[in-house]
Amino acid sequence: MLTVPSVTPDAISALSSREMRRAVMRRWLFRFSVLIGWAAFIGVWYFFSRLVFNPQQLPEPHVVAGESWTLITERDFRTNMQASLVRVLGGFLLAIVISCGLGWLIAYNAWWRTLLRTIVQLVVSTPIVALAILTLVVFGVSSLGPVITTAVVATPYIMMNVAQGLTGVDRRLIVMSESFGRTRSQIIAGVLLPSSLISVLAGARLAFAVAWRMELLTEIFAASEGVGFQIRRSFESYDVRGMIAWTVLFIAVMLIFENLVFRQIERRLQGRTA
Amino acid sequence: MATVLIENLTKIYPPTITYPHRVQALGGVNMSVTGNVFVAVLGPSGSGKTTLLNIVAGVETPTSGSVRAVHNGVPAQVGYVFQEPRLLPWRTVLNNMLYVQDRKSDRSRREAEFYLTMVGLNEVAHLYPSQLSAGMQQRVGIARAFLVNPDLLLMDEPFSHMDALTGRSLREYLQRVWLHTRKTALFVTHDVSEAVELADRILMLRPGGVVFDDIPIDLPRPRNPDDPAVRSVERDVLRRFDSMEAAVRFGAHAQ
Amino acid sequence: MTDVANRAPAQPGPNDPTVFASGFQEVAALPVGDLSPAADRSYSAPRRVLRRPWVVQLIALLILLAVWQYLTVAGDRVPSIENVVSFMWTEITGGSHGGMLLGEFWGALGLSLQRYAIGLAIGIPAGAVLGLLIGASGWVRGLLNDTTLVLLALPAVVWAFLASLWFGLTSTAPIVAVVLTAIPFVAINLSSGVRGIDAALVEMSRSYKVSRRNQIADLLLGGTLPNALTGVRLAFTTGWNSLLIVEWFGATDGVGWRARFWYDALRYEGFVGWVFLFVILITVLDRLVLRRLERRAFQWNQKPTLSFAEDWGM
Repeated sequence: MLTVPSVTPDAISALSSREMRRAVMRRWLFRFSVLIGWAAFIGVWYFFSRLVFNPQQLPEPHVVAGESWTLITERDFRTNMQASLVRVLGGFLLAIVISCGLGWLIAYNAWWRTLLRTIVQLVVSTPIVALAILTLVVFGVSSLGPVITTAVVATPYIMMNVAQGLTGVDRRLIVMSESFGRTRSQIIAGVLLPSSLISVLAGARLAFAVAWRMELLTEIFAASEGVGFQIRRSFESYDVRGMIAWTVLFIAVMLIFENLVFRQIERRLQGRTA
Repeated sequence: MATVLIENLTKIYPPTITYPHRVQALGGVNMSVTGNVFVAVLGPSGSGKTTLLNIVAGVETPTSGSVRAVHNGVPAQVGYVFQEPRLLPWRTVLNNMLYVQDRKSDRSRREAEFYLTMVGLNEVAHLYPSQLSAGMQQRVGIARAFLVNPDLLLMDEPFSHMDALTGRSLREYLQRVWLHTRKTALFVTHDVSEAVELADRILMLRPGGVVFDDIPIDLPRPRNPDDPAVRSVERDVLRRFDSMEAAVRFGAHAQ
Repeated sequence: MTDVANRAPAQPGPNDPTVFASGFQEVAALPVGDLSPAADRSYSAPRRVLRRPWVVQLIALLILLAVWQYLTVAGDRVPSIENVVSFMWTEITGGSHGGMLLGEFWGALGLSLQRYAIGLAIGIPAGAVLGLLIGASGWVRGLLNDTTLVLLALPAVVWAFLASLWFGLTSTAPIVAVVLTAIPFVAINLSSGVRGIDAALVEMSRSYKVSRRNQIADLLLGGTLPNALTGVRLAFTTGWNSLLIVEWFGATDGVGWRARFWYDALRYEGFVGWVFLFVILITVLDRLVLRRLERRAFQWNQKPTLSFAEDWGM
């Protein structure tokens, strides 16, 4: 190793007085602007509800916050949120089960890959409102319909990542396992599943985001309980306050799921493979 | 023809989140280069060579000290060949050349085609960089540097990412184009044989960018790396390089 | 098993699976969507026909139609295929359905498409400006990034409801809903494109003192064009979605209202026909126009293999 010549004192002072201060300033300016941004967001909201519309059309932020709190403390909230959550998770789990089979198929079989590609491309480019309405026709107002539709829109994303994970497996690991005489099931459990898990999880996260939006919309058209149904009821009785409050709560719960649950699992998995 | 005058140049990088320490890249560099010469700046990794070129090119600002790169009293037009090609991946080779031109006229297009021909790439002008090999991409980088009619050529280890064979042929291309224009050139490298093959003068840097040795290379051009004369100069430079390393080590023990 | 035996001597095509001793297959260059002709040669004639990509696509469509036919037969709510087709034929040719709601197919379609176009013509440029500002400047990003994310998190249906409550049964409501759903998609994609521009290229431009005009045209716009097109495509699809919701719940004209009318009149064949029309319209726009543009903008990015998601366009 070669040594680095010592730092001249005047250079240090020049640096600390200029570039260091600039770097710190930049960081604080950014944090400050985030704060201003939120203040401006709330300010614009107040402006619109007071001056552009009336509080009936767009309730002020504090009114919505209060309404959200009231909703949380009511019994109604638990039953509706529970109904929606069960359906989202039910559809999501169904999607995972279907995806594992189909993902395996499209990873190793070119014919099925072409077939499912056509179907998936049709499903993905269908507007979700059309899917929601078709659910209404096929299943009527029921709780099975939303679950199925949620599974249908979530499946392509998970399936794709299952296939991606399977084909991304390091083939040398399989050759190695074979050379040590491991059986098929041992290879599946020891090589294929662990190494494709991260990719599958990434797909699951995306699929979950799609799934809860689909679920909400389907409930708006074809359900008799759940958050989507409540939003629709508030809309039909011109209760903007309730509508926004339900929306905010639902998005909050879903974002908590997306960020906390999936991120935790992901972090744990990455820690193991790293 | 440009004159580069560097006086007591220092560059210190402030701590970052990933590396929470000050890093001194350059500590009091003095250097002057003038005339139609090809100067190789030779130094080990981490001796601040890239930082030096970036400051001369005006891409980075020095912490203290002064840098002047002038041509007839005005700031010199710089042609920079980077370590990696640095081409716009979404533009064709020809459009990458035209990107550094102020006006996209017929004349600038002809000039671009001329320099592409010089590096043997006129056939692929309509292709995207991703369709070329790494060596071809770097040739586009060289042609681009000459296209702006630079007063000063800066080259930052342009062949270090290439395999030995590609690097060899690229050095031939570079020599050919440089002999055609004979612009003032600063060529940074850690490869002694490369420096001897290309340069009229070798500035040997020790860590911190301080010039340790200034060696004139007086060999006829175009040079062939297999020529015994070139080989013997290379051995001589290597000996001096070893003595520098020993001196720096010795200094370290003394501290 | 004969398959494997037949295939073994054939030249391994790019899509030809290698079969491991344990029974696993490994596909050499993965994943390519279409069946390769190289792997095709080893099959007998009828099976080769079955492996033609367009035949497989046809089979996929037939499967979907079969599912529909099954739903028609199994339940009493789903109208049959021929009913839907004949209903839509009457609707398009301007006939009347048992004295109800004469004609006006093209009028409804034109009105909705006009609203859609106006909404996108406002929303996409607004989103682009927002995205460029967020991408280019640190403090603007601090200021507006979170707000844009909030707008993105709000489902289109909420925008649709709010717009129809604020503006009532006018054309303003659907237009506003389209604008509000389009803005965040364009802004987020464009800003991540701007932030993704390689700092090394910016450095290169500065060292060559490249003119501002060239920097904007080639570096900024050239580099962010694919992201911009992705944002625009998403704006088109989600915008169409929210337009339909507004028209379904709060309008007295337009295609969404017409579908709702037949639904309320218990004429499911009319309603399903309209829903399929929505799907066909946006699919044609999405697959035949927007995705082609996007692929062309990505022409420079030639990779040896695509991921499944890239290949399938998701």
